[in-house]
Amino acid sequence: MPLETPVRIVRELAARGYNAEQAAVTLIASTERPGRTLERVVEHVDDAALRITAGDVRGALGDPAVEDPPVSTGEPASNRTTEDDDRRDTSPEETSETASGVGGERSPRNDTDGGVDTSTSAVAGGGRTAAGGGPEHGSPAASRTADPSLRSLEVDGDVTGQSTGTGEYGDFVKVFRDRYEKLSKQLRGRVNHRPATAIQSMSGGTDAAMVGLVNDIRSTKSGHWLVELEDTTGTFPCLVMKDREFAGFVDELLLDECIAVEGTLSDDAGIMFVDSMHFPDVPRTYSPNTADRHVQAALVSDIHVGSQEFEADAWTRFADWLHTEEAERVEYLLIAGDMVEGVGVYPDQDEELDIVDIYEQYERFSEHLKDVPGDMEILMIPGNHDAVRLAEPQPGFDENLREIMSAHDARITGNPSLVTVEGVRVLMYHGVSLDEVIAELPEEKASYDDPHKAMYQLLKKRHVAPQFGGKTRLAPEEKDYLVMEEVPDVFHTGHVHKLGWGKYHEVLAVNSGCWQAQTDFQKSVNIDPDVGYAPILDLDTLDMTVRKFA
Amino acid sequence: MRAEDERYFERIESRLDEAFDRAERAKGMGYDPEPEVEIPVAKDMADRVENILGISGVAARVRELEGEMSREEAALELVTDFVEGTVGDYEGRAGKVEGAVRTAVALLTEGVVAAPIEGIDRVEILENDDGSEFVNVYYAGPIRSAGGTAQALSVLVADYARSLLGIEEYNARTIETERYAEEISLYDKETGLQYSPKDKETKFIAEHMPIMLDGEATGDEEVSGFRDLERVDTNSARGGMCLVLAEGIALKAPKIQRYTRGLDEVDWPWLQDLIDGTIGKDEADAEADADAADADTEAADASESGGDEEHGDGTEEMESGDDEDDALDGRTGPPRLDPSTKFLRDLIAGRPVFGHPSAEGGFRLRYGRARNHGFATAGVHPATMHLVDDFLATGTQIKTERPGKAAGVIPVDSIEGPTVRLANGDVRRIDDPEEALEVRNGVEKILDLGEYLVNFGEFVENNHPLAPASYVYEWWVQDFEAAGAPVQALGDDPAVDLEHPTPAEAEEWATDYDCPLHPDYTYLWHDVSVAQFEELADAVANGRVVGAEADGGLAGTDGSAERAETSDGAAADGHYVLELVNAETVAETLENLLVEHTQREETIRIPEWRLPVRSLGFEIGEGGSIGRTWDPADLSPAAREWDAGDSAIKAVNEVAPFEVRERAPTRIGNRMGRPEKSESRDLSPAVHTLFPIGEAGGSQRDVGEAARGRDEQGRRGVVDVRVGDRVCPDCDAHTYRTTCPDCGTHTEPYYECEECNQVIEPDEAGRVHCDRCDRDVTSPDWFSIDIGEEYRRALEAVGERESAYEILKGVKGLTSADKTPEPMEKGVLRAKNGVTSFKDGTVRYDMTDLPVTSVRPSELDVTAADFRELGYETDIDGEPLKFDDQLVELKVQDIVLSDGAAEHMLKTADFVDDLLEQYYGLPPFYEVEEREDLVGELVFGMAPHTSAAVVGRVVGFTSAAVGYAHPYFHAAKRRNCDGDEDCVMLLMDGLLNFSKQYLPDKRGGQMDAPLVMSSRIDPSEIDDEAHNMDIVRQYPREFYEATLELDDPETVEDLIQLGEDTLGTDEEYRGFDHTHDTTDIALGPDLSAYKTLGSMMDKMDAQLALSRKLRAVDETDVAERVIEYHFLPDLIGNLRAFSRQETRCLDCGEKYRRMPLTGDCRECGGRVNLTVHQGSVNKYMDTAIHVAEEFGCREYTKQRLEVLEKSLESVFENDKNKQSGFADFM
Repeated sequence: MPLETPVRIVRELAARGYNAEQAAVTLIASTERPGRTLERVVEHVDDAALRITAGDVRGALGDPAVEDPPVSTGEPASNRTTEDDDRRDTSPEETSETASGVGGERSPRNDTDGGVDTSTSAVAGGGRTAAGGGPEHGSPAASRTADPSLRSLEVDGDVTGQSTGTGEYGDFVKVFRDRYEKLSKQLRGRVNHRPATAIQSMSGGTDAAMVGLVNDIRSTKSGHWLVELEDTTGTFPCLVMKDREFAGFVDELLLDECIAVEGTLSDDAGIMFVDSMHFPDVPRTYSPNTADRHVQAALVSDIHVGSQEFEADAWTRFADWLHTEEAERVEYLLIAGDMVEGVGVYPDQDEELDIVDIYEQYERFSEHLKDVPGDMEILMIPGNHDAVRLAEPQPGFDENLREIMSAHDARITGNPSLVTVEGVRVLMYHGVSLDEVIAELPEEKASYDDPHKAMYQLLKKRHVAPQFGGKTRLAPEEKDYLVMEEVPDVFHTGHVHKLGWGKYHEVLAVNSGCWQAQTDFQKSVNIDPDVGYAPILDLDTLDMTVRKFA
Repeated sequence: MRAEDERYFERIESRLDEAFDRAERAKGMGYDPEPEVEIPVAKDMADRVENILGISGVAARVRELEGEMSREEAALELVTDFVEGTVGDYEGRAGKVEGAVRTAVALLTEGVVAAPIEGIDRVEILENDDGSEFVNVYYAGPIRSAGGTAQALSVLVADYARSLLGIEEYNARTIETERYAEEISLYDKETGLQYSPKDKETKFIAEHMPIMLDGEATGDEEVSGFRDLERVDTNSARGGMCLVLAEGIALKAPKIQRYTRGLDEVDWPWLQDLIDGTIGKDEADAEADADAADADTEAADASESGGDEEHGDGTEEMESGDDEDDALDGRTGPPRLDPSTKFLRDLIAGRPVFGHPSAEGGFRLRYGRARNHGFATAGVHPATMHLVDDFLATGTQIKTERPGKAAGVIPVDSIEGPTVRLANGDVRRIDDPEEALEVRNGVEKILDLGEYLVNFGEFVENNHPLAPASYVYEWWVQDFEAAGAPVQALGDDPAVDLEHPTPAEAEEWATDYDCPLHPDYTYLWHDVSVAQFEELADAVANGRVVGAEADGGLAGTDGSAERAETSDGAAADGHYVLELVNAETVAETLENLLVEHTQREETIRIPEWRLPVRSLGFEIGEGGSIGRTWDPADLSPAAREWDAGDSAIKAVNEVAPFEVRERAPTRIGNRMGRPEKSESRDLSPAVHTLFPIGEAGGSQRDVGEAARGRDEQGRRGVVDVRVGDRVCPDCDAHTYRTTCPDCGTHTEPYYECEECNQVIEPDEAGRVHCDRCDRDVTSPDWFSIDIGEEYRRALEAVGERESAYEILKGVKGLTSADKTPEPMEKGVLRAKNGVTSFKDGTVRYDMTDLPVTSVRPSELDVTAADFRELGYETDIDGEPLKFDDQLVELKVQDIVLSDGAAEHMLKTADFVDDLLEQYYGLPPFYEVEEREDLVGELVFGMAPHTSAAVVGRVVGFTSAAVGYAHPYFHAAKRRNCDGDEDCVMLLMDGLLNFSKQYLPDKRGGQMDAPLVMSSRIDPSEIDDEAHNMDIVRQYPREFYEATLELDDPETVEDLIQLGEDTLGTDEEYRGFDHTHDTTDIALGPDLSAYKTLGSMMDKMDAQLALSRKLRAVDETDVAERVIEYHFLPDLIGNLRAFSRQETRCLDCGEKYRRMPLTGDCRECGGRVNLTVHQGSVNKYMDTAIHVAEEFGCREYTKQRLEVLEKSLESVFENDKNKQSGFADFM
């Protein structure tokens, strides 16, 4: 029961439209009759207030009314009487299930278990009494020993509010030139490259090298590969013989990614025989940044509120767990898109929606977000189901939607965004291009069962969605927001609804599953989604634990 | 065949011979690519098959076999002939297989469609991995037009030939099997298949297929997995192969099995697994699915065998009666068909909905065949056509709820017209198109669209359960007779109008003979609820009978019902009206009943009130007093609960003194499909002469301009083009012309092998192959042609001046194999006469096809005398033909031209005469002054995707924008009439100007070209769809009764004669009776409003305005669907296209998948630009939002638009440079 109390308090407050500081919740929980206190607090606070602070609670406690004789029915009963939602009625049962679930399913696949240790120790240290506290508030801290002053979260490469493209031809040219500029920079040092026009005028038999965007890939009658590269001066055809050891790379090539090749020109100087091929890639020696303290981030995505298949129970268990001591170090929640199921995403979608109104979908999502401890830092980017443009880069939600989701004061940025969390660079990208990578590349290089392998490909190409003209849609902007100019420490995507993670040259790639059960469409194409997983990342070690809540 | 029919055909053939002789003489001059007419005449199907294939001896053998066996069996029998070499002289085994396969397909498609020549590329013999040989059949896209059964049988034929020739079976490699599976799903995704086999199914077929199916690439999309296979020479999808495997083998397995069983040599045991549907399913659900799969195949089969294979797209969804369902849910009511919403799918902006599925107020189904009715047509009252704001015209296609999918609209004025409420409160039925036009602007609501005539045969053809029939005169009169009434005597009595009796007569008949009430006075009681019925009865009880001239009730101040003034019965009928207090609900009930009345502020007046009042259970007493005969308590529970109280029909029958039938139990929803068509077929840009002038003529391809212009070297009028090298057989001079410039002799193509310079002669099949170098040889070469000289010479030759016309347009280059240019003289004369040429050298005119079986000379703008001259002697009743308005049964090859077509044919006739006189130096053939002169002249009718023309004879003209002809004529072209269109050509133009030498040398080039003509129609050899047309004067009473039980059409098929019943008898060319007449076959608007309205927005506004007027239409749903099916896909599609678009060079046209990094064109340095611009992406945005608001669309739809609008802003607007609003300045 003690475990539940903060959760119940948070819910009760949420039901009344309030968000609460963790400290405030702890304060309420620590009173003799939390239910009574809560009533007092609610009466006490200003009608316009959205967030209940520890100060509010103390103010309410100072109110003599608290001293009134306690009502004999007690807290749980009073809670129950005010509850009008079925979901809450069944919550005690579920909560206990979750508790065991969490224990049993701890780190189902990963071998790191740092998170568990720390959370246990945190329980010991924090106890359930109020102790310490943030200097700003000067209030007693919660069982979650969060100290907001230690946090830092910066966002880079966010197109929100910066979308200056107007859909002209020139905008498109600019964006591809910018891509070439940025990615060719990564390759220039490695080969002695020449512009395409210069190579065109070189004589046969000479050695040459070129950096370019892949313009075309064809197989020749005899099974060799003809890769046409393009730079800002023109194009040049490069032949990769099928028996070369790097011929397999051709299978991995996507159109419009940037590569460098070295080779020899044919006798008539019309073609280059490739001897080596280079990708922008993550340097093998790359050493990732880590946080200075033990702090964790939960990486989730694809919540799909509004869908009939949205797993509200799993999400509630997750939110409940975040209130536990075990989760007290989880101070960040990073959501990689698809907050809601959206409208008009596919034909006749309305027939499969639980909530047909898009704004109600976001309202409901916002309610679910309120279940999460109020002191967590939340950051979210949109996905292809969200009510923003589909073309990438996608700007963050507009004012109207931010208003709806304002309760938690979450950070809303574009897709993609490079988020630096206490020094750790997390590249957040929804992941639409993964479909294309998986479709284009051989199964062993990229598949829905191992989505992180597809992510490795993107890291290698240093671009989140290289191929133009296929499944991925591009909105032209003055620069290419989709290039990974800097190497991220963590690459976080969703979209494919499959859980998978692994390290590529020390960069952690995570695809975080979803909160939506298998849809009819997924059934028809035989996709079995990974539902209700929350990967928990240690920002100080970049170790990861995956928790299951479904 | 009757002597009369024989005379008719001989008449046509003698005119044909006359034309042929003249044409042969003209062609004999050698001015054309070939010195002879290139369209051979086929007297029957066997001839057509032989001519299309060009394999001699086939026709004779086919005729031999035809008498003994079915066409399919004959196709298999012919395999033996090919293998033994008794038919066709093929050396190689591959050739024998090829000949057999082509012949089989040609035979099964009646020698009309192009599939046998275009759909099968070649047959090869290749080697299996074990060294044995197998047969590979190479299919192409046009195999589609053969239909599934012929496709599947072509495989069987190939296999049969293979086994007879002792060639081994094909053993597919695993990668090939996998490739089939990948490729078929790719093709299905890209192009779509009627039937999409599962991967397992495809692999199963591929593993067992004894011959290899191969083909040419038809799409750009490539397979990703199984590429670069040794025995498959493309990575793209092979469309022909996919069709044959999926829609042929997989879908038609049961049909093929029927034939494999009869052959000892071939054995395809694996077909059984396909038929059982156990392939591609897990063991567990295999059994459960087996039945369903069976039913699927059968349904598909049934629709296929019944339907035209060319048009049939997909299996029909069968609606079944819901009487059982009703019984289950405890609801009592009459059997009804379930509404079907399928026809509303993909609603298009600007094409209105006329009725929602089975909605009250929509078209009322009436059974019958009007004389201009046939297969896939729907009879609509011309007043309705006008009242739906002219959106319906003769020939407009509608997508319909039942029985088929689509139909061509025809005007029939012998059925009931629409009922409307006018702004002045009058509720009137409009049975006169003139009246419809007069009141149109005052129409507030269209309460009912009137009747909708569908013939019984339509239900047979679609195998659709019969829908309950309206109670109509032709049914009632049979009931009346059965009830013992002296129908014959009453019919002969000039004082009695059986069809439209007076109320008193109707009442008398109904009561005296115990016969249901006459339909004229039968109202739609089933459309009002019992509650409404009772309310109306109450209103009538409180109503009063007043003098018709009385205005406002002065005359009837004291209690109406007992009024003395109405003492004589006649007055009660004629001069007095029933006046009720106006209440909205009462008015609505009367409207739903379709009782004509007038609504005023305070009162409702019903002029024809006697029978409505009697039906409501009132007595009309002496002197016209009315008195109620029942209490609400008298209504039985059964009547109250009938159809859950929604239908008052039982209640009426309980209180009325006579039986009242259901007036309109079946309503049929529909919407506009394509508009009708009647316009000349021009190439784009239009072409007068198939003479190449390169780029010299500018974008107009102006020959005059080309003749005057200078090229880069300063040569005037000289262009370099690739044309066929020809040689003069007499003086060996080389030229591109068809006659020798030196001696005038006809020249022949010259084939010289480029490698070895050897001159090659074409073989019999027309192939030119150098055996030494093993390469195909072609004749075209680069020539520098002096267009100026050519032009002057042509003008001079035909004695014309350039001022005789505005412009002479040529072509840029030639696409035919030998690139033979057409003599420019022909172009000069075409330009002079204002006609243009199609790709094959003919002049064509397109019209929507409509059927007609009997005509009046007067409506065709000709006289009885003209008709007698054409060989018509009697009218349909056998009376001598004397008057212009007598109804005459149309002969099978006679056609009616639209006004536009007649005008175009006149110009063509002038052109042909000019050509004969001025170019060939022969006497003119037509000498027409006015269009009457065209009567009796012959034309070719020809449909797209076919290769055989049918000879027709012009008998008259119509103002409707359609081509009316006998249904058998359309069927002979393999068309039906659901909005299909095809072309006519003037006979002599085809004979003189058509040449195979002009046909494009690419896949499909032989389609739509008259490779052969049928001079007479054999009803047994046409598309059998037409055979299901009924040809009687009256449907029997049993039929009408069967419809009420939703019986299948087969159950009554024996009662009604169909076209197929007379096949092969002397009667096969005559006796096409109809049940309904129409005053004129061109009533209603001449053109649909869709064609007369300007912009898409105008059309859509009109569409939505109409939807508000129609009671049967839910305007919000229409708006919703227009947004959902037209605007949203357009917006979403264009936005998607924008964000992944190609770009194109504005200067040289080079396309780029992605914007070049150079910014400019890599080919020419020119300006590159987008192919999808902002303007094309958001053109409908504002309209869509506006429509959604105005018509109260769902929030969901509005929000989709909102999200899209924001996306558009986000993509196309600069965040930092947004238009500043007022707030920015505060």
